[in-house]
Amino acid sequence: MGNFLQLVQNENMKIYQRPRTWIMAGILVASVLLISILWVSVGGRDTSMWEVAFIESSILFLLVTIFTVVIAAGGVAEEFTSGTIKLLLIRPWSRSKILLSKYISIIMFAVMLAVLLFASTILVNWVCFGINASPEVQPPIRGLNGISPVSYMLQYYALTLVSLVVTVTLAFMLSTVFRSGGLAIGFSLFLLLGVNSFVALIAMLEYKWIDYLLFIHLNLTQYLDGNPMREGMTLGYSLGVLGIYYAVFVALTWYIFNKRDVAA
Amino acid sequence: MDHPIVKLQNVTKRIGKRTIIDRLTLDLPLGEVFGFLGPNGSGKTTTIRMMVGLMSLTDGEITIGGYSVTKQYEKAIRHVGAIVENPEMYKYLTGYQNLIHYARMIPGITEHRVHEVVRLVGLEGRIHDKVKTYSLGMRQRLGVAQAILHKPQLLILDEPTNGLDPAGIRELRDYLRQLSKDEGIAVFVSSHLLSEMELMCDRVAIIQNGKLIDVRTIRGSQAETESLRVLIEVDRPQGAIEALLTIGQSAVIDGDNLIAIEADRESTAAINAALVAAGIKVYGIRTHVKSLEDQFLEVTGGERIG
Ligand SMILES: Nc1ncnc2c1ncn2[C@@H]1O[C@H](COP(=O)(O)OP(=O)(O)OP(=O)(O)O)[C@@H](O)[C@H]1O
Ligand SMILES: [Mg+2]
Repeated sequence: MGNFLQLVQNENMKIYQRPRTWIMAGILVASVLLISILWVSVGGRDTSMWEVAFIESSILFLLVTIFTVVIAAGGVAEEFTSGTIKLLLIRPWSRSKILLSKYISIIMFAVMLAVLLFASTILVNWVCFGINASPEVQPPIRGLNGISPVSYMLQYYALTLVSLVVTVTLAFMLSTVFRSGGLAIGFSLFLLLGVNSFVALIAMLEYKWIDYLLFIHLNLTQYLDGNPMREGMTLGYSLGVLGIYYAVFVALTWYIFNKRDVAA
Repeated sequence: MDHPIVKLQNVTKRIGKRTIIDRLTLDLPLGEVFGFLGPNGSGKTTTIRMMVGLMSLTDGEITIGGYSVTKQYEKAIRHVGAIVENPEMYKYLTGYQNLIHYARMIPGITEHRVHEVVRLVGLEGRIHDKVKTYSLGMRQRLGVAQAILHKPQLLILDEPTNGLDPAGIRELRDYLRQLSKDEGIAVFVSSHLLSEMELMCDRVAIIQNGKLIDVRTIRGSQAETESLRVLIEVDRPQGAIEALLTIGQSAVIDGDNLIAIEADRESTAAINAALVAAGIKVYGIRTHVKSLEDQFLEVTGGERIG
């Protein structure tokens, strides 16, 4: 009955018809421009465009995460606080599918911001550093096997996107459980930024259970450079742990959303 | 009477230890405007929430068009349009975008239909403005628009006149009556505005403290033959009562020079003739229709929220 894609279209409309979404995208692109222009005016053009693109990506991906968490945290909670959840749910669709359409649109937003960051760092830095670059400037060699800068960047983005999806799913879950956008944003960002700054410290502890902590595994790019945070950890192991967390988040979110009495 | 489109059977809702709805049983037929009347906190909104699947039932069953709301939700809700409490819309979208949003969720709603509904609720002038710029009455109209978009068989409106101006109330009333008569749909309207219900509804269920107290017919054949309370002002009440006894009509004294009788329209004329024949001076005759308000206060005992 009906077309599920239209539900996703609805959720997209609710994301992209709001000015804040475009402000976020604007801030992201403006930050790329700002860093590159500052770099050119202070340090000149004797740097590889890949070097700058890479540094910008690693700094600004944090912004992508924060922005996506804000959108994800609002996703369900705002429908409850504004009361619109009632009119949304009384349609011939199961609650699970309505929730899924929201989740998909948020993941699409996350991917879109990541692609926007990738595209703007490449484009801006190609203009600033790439055109007529002096032949002496060599792209940096990063990663284990001395792969090309493009494939290094792509791998970096792919791994970071995996962690982003897990983080966003966490925020989405908190949004559904607490029905409060502020709480979901605050809690997710606290975990993300707060705990992340201690994560290196925690990783040094010898206890076995630390191997199962979500935050030890959220930074997957540690494997790209071949220096895992904890002895003996592999990419596969981290992905496995993240996968389990992800499944638990999804199961809890859908279970609670289906069961809940809507008294908004 | 057609068989009912909605059946509530022993519907019960408990939250914690409180019983909010207590074994409510109610049938709604097609082609009627059915009022749901009760004081604040009596459980109207809670009942509606259960009918549209927003709240689970502690006990009992609700079926709409033969489908259980709890077990076959998508089928049960397919032909239902509703407003639950305030018609909250996406404020950052325009009225039109809001309607498109709901139109996309149900197959077969054309753009033409959306425009038709916009005209019907009288929002043509402002439909492309953001909802956050709307007045309460305009939001209520938009709420009605989204509820009737898919031509539902059952329309559930929780206090739909809230915020409407007199003209808007009148339009809504006429429209709901027309919908139920011409299209044969069932309309379920909750309110605590008693006089409003009298004008709008065919029947009214009265609920108090989560219990169904009474179902009354307001219109239809019954009402016309119903006996009225007639007050007659005479010079000698005692003599009038005796005169009436001779024609087999009982009467009681009801204040200075007033007697009260229960009679229908036709016998009121005969009574007047009998009084005059007995030499009693009749100064005035008033029929007193018990308003729903009187009935409502009577059955609920004017009791307060509790
Ligand atoms: N989520 C809830 N938790 C606990 N009690 C609730 C909840 N929702 C409603 N109630 C209680 O249930 C009772 C009925 O509430 P309801 O909103 O159904 O009343 P109502 O008839 O719609 O009143 P009104 O005319 O004010 O709209 C009230 O006593 C209210 O306090
Ligand atoms: Mg109410």
